Amino acid sequence: MERRTQARPTGLFLTLCAAMLLLAMVSQQPWAAGPRSYAKGAIAPLETAMMTASDRIGSFTAVFGDNANLRAQNQRLQEQNAALQRQIAELQAAGQDNVALRQALSFQQSYGHSMVAAEVIGRGPDGFSLTVEVDRGTADGVRPGMVVVSGAGLVGRVLEAAPHAAIVQTLADPQSRVNGYLAKSGVEGTVTGGSGDLQMQLNPRFGAAPAAGDWVLTSGVGGGYPRGLVIAKVASVFYNDASTVDRATLSWVNDPASLTVVLVVTDFTAS
Amino acid sequence: MTWIAGTALMLLASLVQVTWAPKLTVLGAFPNLVLVIVVAVAWTKGQRPSLTFACIGGLLLDLTSPGPLGPHALALLAGAYLTGFWVRNVDPAGWVQPVIATAVSTAVYSAVLVGLDDLLNLPVPPPALAVELAVAAAAYNCLLVLPALLASRPVKREAPA
Repeated sequence: MERRTQARPTGLFLTLCAAMLLLAMVSQQPWAAGPRSYAKGAIAPLETAMMTASDRIGSFTAVFGDNANLRAQNQRLQEQNAALQRQIAELQAAGQDNVALRQALSFQQSYGHSMVAAEVIGRGPDGFSLTVEVDRGTADGVRPGMVVVSGAGLVGRVLEAAPHAAIVQTLADPQSRVNGYLAKSGVEGTVTGGSGDLQMQLNPRFGAAPAAGDWVLTSGVGGGYPRGLVIAKVASVFYNDASTVDRATLSWVNDPASLTVVLVVTDFTAS
Repeated sequence: MTWIAGTALMLLASLVQVTWAPKLTVLGAFPNLVLVIVVAVAWTKGQRPSLTFACIGGLLLDLTSPGPLGPHALALLAGAYLTGFWVRNVDPAGWVQPVIATAVSTAVYSAVLVGLDDLLNLPVPPPALAVELAVAAAAYNCLLVLPALLASRPVKREAPA
């Protein structure tokens, strides 16, 4: 009798596991992308409501200490600071880049692009997928593969898009890879996400010395991102004589936990 | 607790997990409220309800994450089954066992999630990073499971014998 009662949950467990595995395999098929996007878009309004409630609760509690004004002022100053930092990085990069080559490639600098503003309404459910969900989708011209930026710099790329919502893979995602270069030294490398700061694998170049404080911008190599978008600032560089590559720890210009509004670049498609 | 109330609870937990919880990120991990509730339900109400809760909560998390539907549900099912098996074989009165069960369930949840992504040819984090994230998440969830158990125990007393 005891064995029968214990066997029942096992049967239920195996049945549910088989059903979920089947669902995962079916919903992964290309022809299921449409219904899957609609299903994911259905929960977006609830996330929007939850974020709104979060903001209201935050505002309510801030009344007690007059934190709201200080927070708004702090936010404004942070945005100004981020914008100034971006300008510095772009000016540094402009000195290094060949303007004629840019024109030949018909490349427009970041703010020459057509963009759609979107509000962040949710984030990934665990540390394995550091994504954000935004309230703009295919109905607003947002498509998978589009680049997402903020006032401070590069945020990531659209992974999936529903009619009125989209999921964006941020640079902090462990699976994120972006080719970048250092504005001053010109050294190129690959920026990867992770649990803490962004990491960059540097390809050493004779005569170039990467250093802390240098800005990292997208190199455009690989065609995944346009050249010249600000990614991060170098926090520290680790040289390894025994290796063919050096490593740098970066301070990302965006904080994924505090991102509230982003811009989707709608006129750049990854090649 | 009715199924409607249970579903509403999982919906609320999953929404909080993807909106508020990431603001509490430490070492790359943040509270996995859905997993904590599934463990608490398995501990106080048994394995069958926890499996159903895991399925509902997992599907809701799948709706908020990139990729196919099902991996989070499958990972939570593994965690729920393991916790149900654990509670049948230990003295459920203490507080040490549920904490250990939560840590192990989080590890199993993470392993299933990463393993399934690999099986489905989806990108997976490097093994060392995955372990680091799983350990941080396990520590976080262990802190939360005791309040969750305290909150769910009065419900158990009201249930008919």
